[in-house]
Amino acid sequence: MEIYQLDDLSLLQQHLQAQYQLYQVIKDDNEQYSWQQQAKESNEPLLTTLPQSSAKSFFFAEHENLLIFNGEYFQETLPTPKPFVLFGLLSCDLTAISYQDQFFKDDPYYQARRQQCLLVGLDCIQPCQQGFCSTVDAGPGVRENSADIILHPLENKQWLVITTNDKGAAALKGLTLSTSHWHLLTQRDLTLHQCEQDFADHSYITKAIDKLNSGKISDSFWQQLAVQCLGCSGCTTLCPTCSCYGTGSITVGSEQNKVIQQQRFWDSCLYEGFQREASFHNPSSDAGKRVQRFWQHKFGSEFFTEFNRHGCVGCGRCEQTCPGVIGVHSIMKRINDHA
Amino acid sequence: MLNHIPDTIELVDYIDNGEQARHYQFRLLNFNKSNEENIKNSATKHNWQDAQPGQFFMLNVPSVGEAAFTFTQPPNEQGEFRALIRQMGKLTSALFILPKGEILGARGPFGRGWPLTKISNENIIIIAGGCGLAPLVNLIDKLIDNLTANQQLVLIYGAQSKPAQLLTRERERWQQEIKIYHTLDNLDEQYTLAKNESQGTPVDVLNTALANFTKPATTALLCGPEIMMHSAAKQLVKNGITSDNIFLAIERRMHCAVGLCGHCYMNEQYVCKNGPTFSWQELQKTITSQP
Repeated sequence: MEIYQLDDLSLLQQHLQAQYQLYQVIKDDNEQYSWQQQAKESNEPLLTTLPQSSAKSFFFAEHENLLIFNGEYFQETLPTPKPFVLFGLLSCDLTAISYQDQFFKDDPYYQARRQQCLLVGLDCIQPCQQGFCSTVDAGPGVRENSADIILHPLENKQWLVITTNDKGAAALKGLTLSTSHWHLLTQRDLTLHQCEQDFADHSYITKAIDKLNSGKISDSFWQQLAVQCLGCSGCTTLCPTCSCYGTGSITVGSEQNKVIQQQRFWDSCLYEGFQREASFHNPSSDAGKRVQRFWQHKFGSEFFTEFNRHGCVGCGRCEQTCPGVIGVHSIMKRINDHA
Repeated sequence: MLNHIPDTIELVDYIDNGEQARHYQFRLLNFNKSNEENIKNSATKHNWQDAQPGQFFMLNVPSVGEAAFTFTQPPNEQGEFRALIRQMGKLTSALFILPKGEILGARGPFGRGWPLTKISNENIIIIAGGCGLAPLVNLIDKLIDNLTANQQLVLIYGAQSKPAQLLTRERERWQQEIKIYHTLDNLDEQYTLAKNESQGTPVDVLNTALANFTKPATTALLCGPEIMMHSAAKQLVKNGITSDNIFLAIERRMHCAVGLCGHCYMNEQYVCKNGPTFSWQELQKTITSQP
């Protein structure tokens, strides 16, 4: 690990842009925050607002070709992205990337994109409105093993730049940086600790997770909750760890030069037909079962054992988007109070 | 890295077998070829020689997509294999209008099949319903081939009706070697039951079948509608077969077969990777704690 001090962040942005396509969260004219590619010399200020969509589509594409069939044989169609940097990822989204790195470790499509990416994390020094990252060990400070470079805002608009691995160190090569004093790391720890203290009381989430894993929540409770699930897939689309997908084929080209593409696309376990078989046998035909299955996947102890953490990173996007008001905060409060 | 790319196969032949069902024969193209051109384009990318009874493959009908089917006969030395397929949804409907000689795709073998080594010397009762007989065909063939003088193998096969019965040739062949009980849910008024037939479900004749074992049955293999399997498993436990010696093959919708698409998981168990064969001991835990 190396630590540096930087006065002007735009120097780092410009340096990285010489090697990578640089993506950063930008606020658009409609007050929406989203990941956008930056033109060279644009040097947008670094925002600490969580974007509406996480960075998962950079690696696990919402819609992509897996292969083509030319009438004779099948050919893999791996993506070939140019090197890119995600600049200013918050810790919750970085934790989700680590989670998906583990889940998709043997998936060639995910890895083809992931190998091309440099992750630059940004510490949160103030709690956000919906987040509870500290409750689920996903923030507010960037975890060392989740980013190649970590940025930490200091006083006087200065930045602490921390490289966590060889990839991060190599990316900074050629940039003139002043080495920082180690005591600034201690200051970082104190700032992050204070930020954790400033979060609202989320103990109802911890208690609800225990209750969820006790196996004592009744089917009728889940059914009551599921009345409010519209099956819109808002939660699964925005959830940075959700990874379920469907596949299908389309035919493209002229009749003489026909090519069949097999594609995969994001799916949602909250759709009624998600598990329905051709015979119409459906193990999750009951909406309560689907809602339970989703939350079990986020907080079930058996998944914790597999991934060494919860499937939820505490970003709170599901709460923000759910039209039925059964996002994470609402669900966990109801489990805690009434289940 | 996982390989999502199918090998090319030829639809060699099929015979109609029961209502809206066919027994298909496929052949892996370039099965034993390994020259550079074939490696680049179409040599086999999967370990077909390793296929075990109860495992499955993903059939790719190029204009539609993929779905999981079990082998009734795994790939032989010529790369030929068979599968019993019922016309049910979009993919099988597209398959059923394809002519012999058509080029399709296949990936596999996938999953955990029947525990052949563990059960090979046991007294076995097999309970199958409808299409559920398909994943057992290769296993029953193997078990019969290696049956010892002291060993007993009994099959209960249930179907909705006489015309819905599948795998007629196979059952006729097995009938020479083992005891088979047939059950039919629905009977035509004029139909006269044969000696080995009865009206009802496999569970209805289970106690009779178990009582007729010379030495008690020690292992049970089940495949069919889940409700039937659960009910049969409970009855088997009551009859003294322990839950770790009762095995069930589970069907789930699958898009990837390699533990990624999320469609098939039951709690933390992926039916594609950890199954489709589970012991009743494993499955009970999953059923009681899963949505």
